[in-house]
Amino acid sequence: MAKKIIIALAGNPNSGKTTVFNNLTGARQHVGNWPGVTVEKKEGTCSYKGYNIKVVDLPGVYSLTAYSPDEVVARNFIVEEKPDAVVDIVDAANLERNLYLAVQLLEMGAQLIVALNMMDEANSRNYRINVEGLSRLIGAPVVPMVAKRNQGTMELLERIVEVAENKVRVKELVINYGREAEEEIAKLERLISQDGEFSRKYSSRWLAVKLLEGDEEVIKKFKEVKVG
Amino acid sequence: MDRQEILQASEQSLAHLRSIYSDEAETVVADARYGFISGLLKDVLKKPPIERLTLSDKIDKVVVNRWLGLPLFLAMMYGMFQFVFTLSVPFMDWIDAGFGWLSELAAGIGGWPGSLLADGIIGGVGSVLIFIPPIFLLFMAISVLEDCGYMARAAFVMDRLMHKVGLHGRSFIPMILGFGCNIPGIMACRTIENPKDRITTILINPFIPCGARLPIFVLLAGYFFAAHAGLVVFSMYIIGIIVAIIMALVFRKTLFRGVSGHFVMELPPYRLPTIKGVLVHLWERGSLFLRKAGSIIFSVVVLIWLLDYTGVLEPIGRAIAPIFAPCGFGQWQAAVSLFFGFLAKEVVVGTMGTLFAAEEEVLGGAIAAQLGWTPLVAFAFMVFCVLYVPCVAAIATIKGETNSWKWPVFAIFYTTAIAWIAATLIFQIGNLFVG
Repeated sequence: MAKKIIIALAGNPNSGKTTVFNNLTGARQHVGNWPGVTVEKKEGTCSYKGYNIKVVDLPGVYSLTAYSPDEVVARNFIVEEKPDAVVDIVDAANLERNLYLAVQLLEMGAQLIVALNMMDEANSRNYRINVEGLSRLIGAPVVPMVAKRNQGTMELLERIVEVAENKVRVKELVINYGREAEEEIAKLERLISQDGEFSRKYSSRWLAVKLLEGDEEVIKKFKEVKVG
Repeated sequence: MDRQEILQASEQSLAHLRSIYSDEAETVVADARYGFISGLLKDVLKKPPIERLTLSDKIDKVVVNRWLGLPLFLAMMYGMFQFVFTLSVPFMDWIDAGFGWLSELAAGIGGWPGSLLADGIIGGVGSVLIFIPPIFLLFMAISVLEDCGYMARAAFVMDRLMHKVGLHGRSFIPMILGFGCNIPGIMACRTIENPKDRITTILINPFIPCGARLPIFVLLAGYFFAAHAGLVVFSMYIIGIIVAIIMALVFRKTLFRGVSGHFVMELPPYRLPTIKGVLVHLWERGSLFLRKAGSIIFSVVVLIWLLDYTGVLEPIGRAIAPIFAPCGFGQWQAAVSLFFGFLAKEVVVGTMGTLFAAEEEVLGGAIAAQLGWTPLVAFAFMVFCVLYVPCVAAIATIKGETNSWKWPVFAIFYTTAIAWIAATLIFQIGNLFVG
């Protein structure tokens, strides 16, 4: 019996996410809708080294705020379903903008793998990226790829299995938001950590930061009546 | 905990942050994330030079430059102390004149109540309060540098240096906070995850001269090094930083071996500090100083006056004084000041003020005349004050943060030992040259 792994694919629009999805799943795809919203949900499967990997393609987004249904769908899947691994497809030629999503995913405590796509493009612009250094500093595996030529797919699968099997743990990223903001975050974190249900299910720090961001979805969660 | 209460607390936090940053917290959070990414990419991405640069990038090209960064940081600090010193002089003269007038008025009462008021309270507390201008100006300068984003750059620049001693730039942020007061500095070490890095950073923090030590420097440098006072005060801060870094290296080689963690140093975009933000920070630190002056400094000064008036103080001082003889300041008055300075560093000056019953203007002269101090002795004394025992409140904070008595007790002894060695070396070697 093949072991099941569930992973999510995240990434900015135009980062080559669909190409990676096609490389991983081939023809075994299924298109539906996310419950409650008219956002297309694509799923596919892939077999690798005796693992049965279910790949969920999240909508392409730049950020994980609660401003669009796409962002809410992507975020909720990661927060609520807690996939075994999340692959963020990052455009290596536009690192600064693309890493914003990766940083947010890491702050949520996602088991993130950064797929550094379009390395050929970055190289042709003479960008020199220290892949190992990047991986060490963000604390997550980074896989250089050229998805349109199907380069790097095997290494990506290898990393996915490692992360899903807990051989590599990706730690929640803690960003220093400055003295004033950190004081407020600490205050809220303390309050949240007293809420058994929330602190078991989510990272208290993440919820605190989201409250400061005025995140509608998170505020809604707090307004819901506590059950039990 | 009711979730409704958490939401209310978050509303309060948002309002507080909005008033400080004059921007939504959401923007502040996003800026910090981009700051993280920009710091990260400075380390791992090399782009060809033709790319367009933002204004922040252009400023950073100079400010965090490999060669210019450190000299610029030093120049910035030097400029800061010159600014603080020059600008505070007229204000200090006014306060001094005010206390002089009060003191004369009080002395007119006569008897022990007159002495208590004039020598004890006005002499002691007054000689501390006179330092409100330099202390507040220093806190204001630090707030401006923090709020505009420069301090994050300073930490980034120091990151390279700190790596050489086995720490990282994140350990420098508590040191910067320590310039105001060591207590928030020590508490800020919480952001350091690795326990070895954390304890090392906590243990070196007391070497960073806090605002409470500024009166000692301003008083002594102002009298003994009149023309170069700003430079001498600046040198005290540099000595504090250098000793802190050397001790960090020593700790990493002995007590806490191992590799320090890797961190990204956030480089948030530069922003114009808001007047409100600066004032809020200034008040946070400044009010602490005022409250200390009204409570602990006041009580200690009255205690010292009482001990002095009853003749108990001198024998205590004479018993301790021989320890400081090799450092050059083996007089009982100096010993007593240092001893009570353990309660709060402002008390060092306050004690002298009570003992010599004088305010700042004549206090320097009184010390030179009655104790026979030379500039060399004053310098050794200042260095001792930079390095010796953390104040009681800092000790309590170290205890709280490390959750054990081992580290605060260790801190008391090792800092004092280092202070003694440094002051003795300065005095003895200096004597060879001065003759």
